Amino acid sequence: MKIKYFAWIKNITNTDSEEISNKNIVDIESLKIYLCKKYPKLENHILKDQIIRISVNLEYTSDNIILTNKDEIAFFPPVSGG
Amino acid sequence: MIKIQKEDFNLENEVNLIKSKYTHIGAVSTFIGYVRDVNTNKKVISINLEVYEEMAIKSLSSICEQSKKKWNLIDSLVIHRFGSLSVNDKIVLVATFAMHRENSINACSYIVDYLKKDAPFWKKEFYEKDSAWL
Repeated sequence: MKIKYFAWIKNITNTDSEEISNKNIVDIESLKIYLCKKYPKLENHILKDQIIRISVNLEYTSDNIILTNKDEIAFFPPVSGG
Repeated sequence: MIKIQKEDFNLENEVNLIKSKYTHIGAVSTFIGYVRDVNTNKKVISINLEVYEEMAIKSLSSICEQSKKKWNLIDSLVIHRFGSLSVNDKIVLVATFAMHRENSINACSYIVDYLKKDAPFWKKEFYEKDSAWL
């Protein structure tokens, strides 16, 4: 699956996108756990204060939906356009 | 129509481009967002706008389509810039085209509200000595 990061989240991951393939990642929650292990500084934002928003295939989601290897998941802070 | 671009835009040209296609447009409402030189008491020098382009096009297209049905719009236009912008630069244009003013005004306001709340754009402000993501 393709993971994208935006705004200040990129400062934590040091990349704006990456391909991840791991049999333990089956849904949003398991992906969050995987990413927090890979990038410990994400934990405060993803698991604790939960300010990071998530999209799957260009749609916002707040549910723990099932993921497949073809999905594109993005993590980003609250938006500030306009 | 949705345009995500680095380049500046000309309000009159953009409106006329759509207006010239239809003779039954009686009302056009527009909103333009600019880079201002102050935010929370800090002097802003410039900003950098980041966008998740594919998602922005999809979500703004969807909101414009909803607005078209809800307010019987004839057409709509959203231009949102990205990249480095200076104070006084234009950031965004929302224009709505309808037969009557109530529909164009309400639809324009609705699209701007959506854009501020949910469209995937992020601003980084640059001050005299430091910078911050909003």
